[in-house]
Amino acid sequence: MSEKYDAIIIGAGVIGCPIAYELSKMGYKTLNVDKLPDAGEGSTAGSCAIVRAHYSTADGVAMAYEGFKYWLNWENYLENVEDEKGLAKYMNTGSILIKSQGHDWKKVQKNYDEVGVAYEEWDNDKIKKEVPVADLHEFWPVRRPEDPKFFDEPAKEVEGAIFCPEGGYVNDPALSAHNIMRAAEAKGAKFIFNAEVIDIRDENDKVTGITLKDGTQIDAPIVVNVGGPHSFMINKMAKGVWEGCNIKTKALRHEVMYCPSPDGYNYLADGYHMSDGDIGCYVRPEVGNTFLIGSEDPECDPQEWVDPDGFYAGKGGKGKDNVLTDEQWKAQCYRLGKRIPSLEVPNQPRGVVDLYDCSDDWIPVYDKSDLPGYYMAIGTSGNQYKNAPVVGHMMAELIDACEKGLDHDKEPLQYKFKYTDRSTDVGFFSRKREINYNSSFSVNG
Amino acid sequence: MQIYVCVKHVPDSAANITILDKSRIDENVTFLLNPYDEHAITEAVRIRDTFQESEVIAVCIGKDDAEKTIRSALAMGADRGLLVSSNDDHDSIETARVLKAAIERTGEPALIFTGKESIDAEGMQTMFRLGALFDFPVATNVIKIDVDETRAVIDSELSGGNVNTYELSLPCVVGAGRGLNTPKYPTFPDIVKSRKKTVKKFIFADLNIEPSKASMSIVELEPLKQARSPKEITGDASIVAQKILTILKEEAKVI
Amino acid sequence: MENIGIIIETDNGKIKETNFGMITLARDNKAETETELFAFVMDADVKVLKEDLESFGITKIVDISLAKEQQNNPVVRAKALINVIKEFNINTLFGLSTAMGKDLLPRIAAMLDAPLVMDCINVDLEQNFAKTSQYSGKTIATIKLSGDVLLFGIRPNTVAPVNIQIKTQTLAEMLKFDGEEFVSSSLRVVKSGETDKNININLAEADVIIAGGRGIQNRENFVILSQCAEKLNAAVGASRVAVDSGWVPYSMQVGQTGEKVSPKVYIACGISGSIQHFAGMKTSGIVIAINIDENAAIMSNCDYYVKADALNIILELTKLFNNG
Repeated sequence: MSEKYDAIIIGAGVIGCPIAYELSKMGYKTLNVDKLPDAGEGSTAGSCAIVRAHYSTADGVAMAYEGFKYWLNWENYLENVEDEKGLAKYMNTGSILIKSQGHDWKKVQKNYDEVGVAYEEWDNDKIKKEVPVADLHEFWPVRRPEDPKFFDEPAKEVEGAIFCPEGGYVNDPALSAHNIMRAAEAKGAKFIFNAEVIDIRDENDKVTGITLKDGTQIDAPIVVNVGGPHSFMINKMAKGVWEGCNIKTKALRHEVMYCPSPDGYNYLADGYHMSDGDIGCYVRPEVGNTFLIGSEDPECDPQEWVDPDGFYAGKGGKGKDNVLTDEQWKAQCYRLGKRIPSLEVPNQPRGVVDLYDCSDDWIPVYDKSDLPGYYMAIGTSGNQYKNAPVVGHMMAELIDACEKGLDHDKEPLQYKFKYTDRSTDVGFFSRKREINYNSSFSVNG
Repeated sequence: MQIYVCVKHVPDSAANITILDKSRIDENVTFLLNPYDEHAITEAVRIRDTFQESEVIAVCIGKDDAEKTIRSALAMGADRGLLVSSNDDHDSIETARVLKAAIERTGEPALIFTGKESIDAEGMQTMFRLGALFDFPVATNVIKIDVDETRAVIDSELSGGNVNTYELSLPCVVGAGRGLNTPKYPTFPDIVKSRKKTVKKFIFADLNIEPSKASMSIVELEPLKQARSPKEITGDASIVAQKILTILKEEAKVI
Repeated sequence: MENIGIIIETDNGKIKETNFGMITLARDNKAETETELFAFVMDADVKVLKEDLESFGITKIVDISLAKEQQNNPVVRAKALINVIKEFNINTLFGLSTAMGKDLLPRIAAMLDAPLVMDCINVDLEQNFAKTSQYSGKTIATIKLSGDVLLFGIRPNTVAPVNIQIKTQTLAEMLKFDGEEFVSSSLRVVKSGETDKNININLAEADVIIAGGRGIQNRENFVILSQCAEKLNAAVGASRVAVDSGWVPYSMQVGQTGEKVSPKVYIACGISGSIQHFAGMKTSGIVIAINIDENAAIMSNCDYYVKADALNIILELTKLFNNG
C-alpha cells in the first residue's frame, strides 16, 4: 500500500468510527482497519445501544448526558451525510431507575443534580400507573433460579423510582457505526475491511505502523487501538503497551435476552428503558413487541472470560461460545418475570451473546500509552455505546494535544464538552490509574 | 381422563453441534424441550381443562438432566411427570416400548400426544410405533383436534396446505404439528406453582423392555458440508433477471 | 434373492416426477442382477404408467386395488402394503418422504416392527445404511438398519433421475393385488385433501422454490412472489419472520420448525439466512440469494447472490415470462 496516513485506527465500531470522523475534521488523514466485513459488525452490533444518564460518578453522568445531545441531533452530528443503508434512529422512551439496594441511586440522584440532568421522582403508585404490568415487591438480593431462595415470597415493596424523561435507545447500533463511517468518509477518512492486524511496528521507541495478516504493511505515526473485545490482543502486539497499563482489559461473555411482551401489553409502543437493580436487570423495547433483557451482572452470576476469536467462531462449548445458555436465559427472564408476573417465558432462549471489552474496574481506558504515537480507546465494559460520539471527539483532542507535545500523564487533558457546560479530567480514564472502587463494577459503569 | 404427552430433551436448534468419535455429538450444549412437544403440551392442557377429573402427564426417556424438560412441561401446565432414566441412546423402536411400559405402569391413557418429530433425530415415527404397540389409532402433523368421550376428530396437515380430516376412536395417539396452536408459555407464578409438582423416576433396566429384532443405529455422524462459493450477479434488475433465467434453464435445467 | 418394493406416488392418475429419482436410487443399489424392482401402484391406471416405469428399470408392477371408500385411508393403505410385502417377499421398501409418505411409511414400519429411516438423502443396500440429516440439519447421520424388512423414506429430489438404455430395457411383469377387503375401524377419513387455494405446488416436492423473508415486508408483496412462481412452476416458501408476521400461513414456512426442502433451485428473497432457516433448505441444489443487505448471512452461503431489492428482480423475472 503506497498511501501514507497520519493515523491508523484499529477497529470500525461505534467508537473507532467517530475517532476517525473527528480526526478527519481536524485535518488528519485516517485509515480504519477492521477484520470484519463492515462497520459496526463486531460487538457494536451486539450492543443494547441504551442511552441513559445514570452512572456512579458525576463525570460518568456528565459524559452520558453530553452523548445524549449527539443522539438527539443525529443528522446534524453527521452533517447530513447520506447513508445508503438509512440512518439509525434514537428512540426517546424515557428511563426509569428503580430505587433499590442494587443501585446506589442516591449517588446517581446527587450526580443528576450536580450535572443538571432533568428527572422526576416517582412513588410506587406513579410507577404502577406508567407500568401497569409491574409488581413492585422488593426481590433483593438478586439470586439465581438454581438457588431455592430465588422463589421466596417477597414481603416489602421497592421505594419508587427516578425517572429521566431524556433517555432511550438507538434502534440499530451497527447502523449507527455505519452512519458515522459515511460521515467520516465525507471528510476524507478511509476504511478497509476484512483486514486483520497481526503486528504493531515501531522504530526508535515510536510507533511506525501496522502489519496485516496478508503481509501488507501500512505506515502511520499514530495508531489507535479501538479493537473492542480484541483490544488486549492488540495491546500485546505493541511494544511495552500491555506492560505499561495498570488497568488491563479482557473479553467478557455477556448474554442479552429477547422475551415476548405479555399478551395484550404493547411494550413497543408504551415502552421505556428501565434499570432495575432489585432484580439485576435492565430492559428496553425491541421490535416484535419484545422485552430486551440485559443483565446488570449481579455477583451470583458467573463471569466467563473468553478468547474472542474462539468465541466468535462458535468454539469453547456451552457457556463459552456464542450461543445463549438455558441457565442464563432462565435467570434473566425469571428475574424479570418477578417484576412482570404476566411475562410468558418461552423454553427456547432468544437473544444475543456478545463480548464486553471489560476493564478491571468496568471504567474505560481512554489514553495514550507507553509507546509514543500509540493510543487506546478500550475497556468500554458494555457501558460506553451512548458515549461513543463524545469519546470520538475527546480522543481526537487527546491525540492532537499529545502529538503537539502535551505530557498527558503529568498534566492530564481537561476535555471541555461541546454541549454541556462542563469539563472532564481525561486523566480519570488513565491506564495508570489504580482500580476505581467508586465504580459499580458492572455494565452500569 | 388421562392425557399423556411424550416429550423429548433435545439440543437447542441454535447450538453449535460438535461431533465426537464420528458418531455422537458433544452434549455440552443447551438442551431443551423439543419445540413440537410444546404444541402437544399446550393442546393437552387445553383438552384437560374441558374434561372433569382429567390430568396431563409428561413422559420422557433420557438422562437425568432430562428432568429439566419435564419441568418445562410441568411449568406449561402438565400435572405430573414420568422420567425413564437411561444413559444410552435408544432408537424409536425401543423408545416406543419404553414409553408404553412407563405409561402402562401409571394408568390408562385416553390420549397420547407426541410432537410430530424431534429436532435432533428427526425420525418422525415414534408416535406410530407407540400406536402399534398399544393398538391405538394414530394421526400425525395434527393441526386441529376436537375430542369427546369416545373419539377425536383431527385435521392432519399435508404439505402445501392440504389437510385430511380423520376420526379416531379413543384411546389414540396424536403427533402435534406446528399449526396446532400457539404454545402457552409459563409465567413466573406458573413456574413457582410447578415446583411442587412431582416427577416419578423409573430406571430403564427396571422396566424389562422386551427387545425387538429390528433396530436402527447410528454408525457415523458427520457435519453437513457447506461448500458453496458465492458468485455475485450484477447489473440492473432486468439484466439480473435475465441471468437468473439462464441459470434456471442451463445450469439447473428446470425450465 | 432380493426384492425391492417401491411405492409409486401419483397425482390425479399421473406419476409424480419425484418417483423417478427414487427408482434410480433403488436401481443403482441392486446388488445382484436377479434383484427385482417392484413398483406398487395404488390409485392409478397402471397401463398409463407402465412405459415410464419400465424406462427406469422397474421389472414388476403391482396394481393394488382398494375398496373405493377406503382409498384415502392411510391405515388401509398400510395394511394392504404389508400384505403385498408378504405376498411378494419384499425385503426392502422405498417410498417418498412426502406428506403422504410421512403418514404411510411409519405406519407400515410400526405394524411390521421394522426399521425405517425417513428423509433419506442416500441409501446403501449392500450395508443397509441410510443417510439422513439430524440435529436441525447440521449433521448427516449414517444409520444402519437391521430387521427382516427395511424401510426407507427418500427425500424428494435428492437423486437425479436417470433412465436406462432402451436396449437393456425389459418389459415389466404386470401383477395384481386385491386389497378390497381391508378396512379400518379405528381411523376413518372424514374429509380428504382440502387445499388452501393460494398454494398450488407442493413445497417439499417443488423443483424451484421462491422464498420470501423480512425483506418482502407484507402480505401483498408475497403475491408478487406467487405470480412469478406460477410462471416458473415453482412453490412459494417463507422464512419464520414472514409466517410470524402473518403474511403467509405456517404451511409455507421453510426451516427448522417448518418444511425441510431440497429443490433444484432455491431463490431466497429478502431472507437473512438464520441457522434455523438454513436447517430447512441447506440441502437445496442451487441457492440464489437476493437481498439489499450484502452482509446478510445468506449472501455468503449461497451459489449466487444479488445485492438488490428482491421484489424488483422478481417482477423483472415475471416480465420475462410474460414477454415469452
